[in-house]
Amino acid sequence: MKSLPAQLRALWMRILGVLRPARADADFHAELESHIAMHTDDFVRAGLTPVEARRQALIRLGGVEQTRQAHRERRVLPQVESIVRDLAYGARSLRKNPTITAIAVLSIGLGIGANATIFSMISRFVLRPPPVGDPSTLLSLHTTRTGEPCCNDFSLPMFNDVREQARSFSGVAAYYELLPASIGGAGEPQRIWGQAVSTNFFGVTRVPLILGRGFIDGEERQPKVVLGAGLWQRRFNGDKDIVGKSVILSGRTFTVVGVASGLFHSIDQILYTEFWVPLGNAEQMAPGLSNQGSRDFHWLSVVGRMKSGVKRAEVTAEFKTLAYRLAKSYPKTDKDGGFAFEQAGTLPQNVRSTVFVFLTALGVAVALVLFIAGANVANLLFAQTAGRQGDMAVRLALGATRGRLQRQVLTESLLLGLGGGLLGIVLSLWSTSALSAFHIPAPVPLQFGIHVDWRVLIYSFVLSVLSGLLLGIGPAWAAARPSLAHALKGEDALARPGRRISFRNLLVIAQIGMSVVLLCLTGLSLRSLQTASHINIGFRSQNLLLMSVDPRVHGYTPERTVMFLTELQKRVTALPGVVSAIATDTAPLSGGGRSDAFQADDLLSRGKSEAGADLYMVTPGYFETMGIARIAGRDFGDETANGPKVAIVNRAFVDRIFGGENPLGRHVTGGGVTYEVIGVSGNTKSRTLGEEQRAVLYRSLQQSIAGDPALMGNTLVVRTAGNPATIKEAVRLQIHALDPAMAVFNEETMEEHVRTAFFLPHLAAALFGVFGAIGLVLATVGLYGVMSYAVSRRTREIGIRMAMGAQPGTVERLVLRQGFLLTLIAVGLGWPAAWMLAKLASSFLYGIQPHDIVTFVLVPPFLIAVSAIACWIPARRAASIDPMQALRTE
Amino acid sequence: MGDKKDVWQGTLALMVLKTLESMGPQHGYGLARRIEQTSGDLLQLNYGTLYPALLKLEQEGYVRSKWGISENNRRAKFYELTKAGQRQVSKAAAEWEQTTEILARFLTPAEGA
Repeated sequence: MKSLPAQLRALWMRILGVLRPARADADFHAELESHIAMHTDDFVRAGLTPVEARRQALIRLGGVEQTRQAHRERRVLPQVESIVRDLAYGARSLRKNPTITAIAVLSIGLGIGANATIFSMISRFVLRPPPVGDPSTLLSLHTTRTGEPCCNDFSLPMFNDVREQARSFSGVAAYYELLPASIGGAGEPQRIWGQAVSTNFFGVTRVPLILGRGFIDGEERQPKVVLGAGLWQRRFNGDKDIVGKSVILSGRTFTVVGVASGLFHSIDQILYTEFWVPLGNAEQMAPGLSNQGSRDFHWLSVVGRMKSGVKRAEVTAEFKTLAYRLAKSYPKTDKDGGFAFEQAGTLPQNVRSTVFVFLTALGVAVALVLFIAGANVANLLFAQTAGRQGDMAVRLALGATRGRLQRQVLTESLLLGLGGGLLGIVLSLWSTSALSAFHIPAPVPLQFGIHVDWRVLIYSFVLSVLSGLLLGIGPAWAAARPSLAHALKGEDALARPGRRISFRNLLVIAQIGMSVVLLCLTGLSLRSLQTASHINIGFRSQNLLLMSVDPRVHGYTPERTVMFLTELQKRVTALPGVVSAIATDTAPLSGGGRSDAFQADDLLSRGKSEAGADLYMVTPGYFETMGIARIAGRDFGDETANGPKVAIVNRAFVDRIFGGENPLGRHVTGGGVTYEVIGVSGNTKSRTLGEEQRAVLYRSLQQSIAGDPALMGNTLVVRTAGNPATIKEAVRLQIHALDPAMAVFNEETMEEHVRTAFFLPHLAAALFGVFGAIGLVLATVGLYGVMSYAVSRRTREIGIRMAMGAQPGTVERLVLRQGFLLTLIAVGLGWPAAWMLAKLASSFLYGIQPHDIVTFVLVPPFLIAVSAIACWIPARRAASIDPMQALRTE
Repeated sequence: MGDKKDVWQGTLALMVLKTLESMGPQHGYGLARRIEQTSGDLLQLNYGTLYPALLKLEQEGYVRSKWGISENNRRAKFYELTKAGQRQVSKAAAEWEQTTEILARFLTPAEGA
């Protein structure tokens, strides 16, 4: 009689039946009534009185209620129905205790919100694949060299070798990561960044295109361009007919062949690039690519598309033989060479470990927050269960099964978990948008926005279900086991005699212990921010305006660039309110820059090793304008491009390269150029705030701009008498008076620029500060709750004590002592844990040790003080108990 | 009433289907009376048990129901076989005959021995 479709159909109908119970019930009621009426009619016809006839009809039916019940059970799925009933009951009892429900949902919400926020960072930086077609088969390839840290880019010939010889890949594409350009056309010229790619780039990566196509063979050197969707919207109003039209990039005309998907900005998902041109255009657009064909010039990023069915192990094996072959053919350059690869779009090697450690530290912090929140809610639920034990005991006595009661308590905590999860997602929507507003100190646009994506939603959902269930297990277990005799007498049926430290006390100890850990992390990050704000950056950031131009991308020769900058400097200095103006390549604290290894020529023979130094190009007056001390020697003057190269070095340079001896008049060599040292300046922070003092060598812009054109363009630094922001327009006007097509970018005051450099300590302090505060508040509430509960349970005992003559002060101390004991145990456990975990924090701390004395000394007394307040309120209540009242209540 | 038989689980559905097949559309009360009559009053049927069985058949798609007017001018819900129901009657009847036949082979010699 069984047929599967029929059974499935029946199941489906029953599930639907849960949804509209009332109508079906009424319908069946009518059907039964008609049945009884017809049967009664027949009995009447057989000679019974109407009353007796109806009675007989009901007897033959077997009872109206029984029939309706049987029909109802068949109509719906009893299991589903009872779950729905549990949910409704749960929601009702949660509504009955709005305060407890609100605190619970808020606690879980904060916990899950914190976790969702950090997880959205993890999702963004670790889990999210790049927006290319089939990301799992796209690999980023690197070259390695034995004895050097991994990894390096490819040289052009090496890329060609791999492209032609590697059998594991269906295609191998290369790109030059960062190409500056200015875009002309309608509106003010704009500075944009793009990439130069091999013509097969779009084919290999399968980056989706909105319009047109990628590049094709034969276009290697042609002026063709694929635009990013953002640029296309911004500069061309999303012109649907853009393909085939011309755009002006850095003064050259390019033909648009396609528009890339708005999701795609770069394979590494960090750089925010907006146009792509064939690789052959790179040399003209970027500086320093003149020897791009050389085998030892590594400048290309490479991705490879694995053939279907090829395993990673086979790729490894093939690369090994390939490296061997190349080493034989090109012993001079490729000896000791090798290859490495990883999933395309994973974080760049150099930042990976920092990001991981930072995320791990944050992950630990939010896990603690969630645990503290969870302990709070568990405590609340226990208290609530204690209040409902009479109810439970009655239901048990009436025959409810323990499983039924447990399921109901679990349903309630599950609802709390889900409610908290919902709140958490709302909170994380807000927090992620707040975090996305943080600016990373870098002179190129980066994509660092984080969002609540589907991974975060799934994670939050799982987390809320899990926390709902975990939180419910304890109370559910307890609820179903009230000692009946106690409960029915109205006594505390959850209290087990002879147990000194209850489960709830353990929870509070864990809670406070974890907030010790959390507070230590918070303390460290706040201390780090405090020290960071006292870091001596070495220059005066007030009243400075920064504004960048890149004449080179507008086709300027080095000579014209110098003329342009000199003229601009002259005009800007003449503006009212301007004290002085100079030009440099990159402002300090930009996150990175040029550097080279340097040696003092006259110390060479003495076997002194070389040391790295950062390189800056400046015009005369730089040090006065920036407010950097000039310690010895002279400033730059009218050096000529072809004259002997001169340099000014900072103190750290003198210490490291000249061993602290007087460097004036001596020579240093780095990057193949020899400079005569003509002056010494004070130290400044060069790249980042947190760096160890770096050695810096300043070159004359006039002398060096031809040999080493800057990728980032040139920055005009203007010292003003008043607020520097007010003269922005005037400076911009002067730039456009000299060249209306010149794109102006990175416009900011030096104070804004320096603030951006505080990115990491600010971010860390903001995150850990918020998490620490949440943890502290939750733990305090938890302690308060437990102490209040303890007092309420001991009301009678305290009443007796007071009746026997105990003073209120004694009673107060009694309660306080219990609270103190819990706190002390917790601090005793949490403090060493924090001490051990502090190492995690070291990667983002500025100028303080992970075992910072101030933090570790201040946190325990602070926490003890806070918990004293939490205990004081219940203690006062205990002391004010009226003994007569207390004894009469039970 | 000791010699009247309770309805076996599962057989009621077949009885309902078979009755509907021979009688055409019928309301619950009529079906119950007819099943009793057909059994030669050997079956003791609690009329109420018929309704969950009818609901199950309806959920499985073998019968459908609609409100109508009975021969005595009362509003009643009428059940009729669907196409799937008609197929199901012959299939289930054949299965049932086979089952009883097999069972009979076991029972007959045992009685004879």
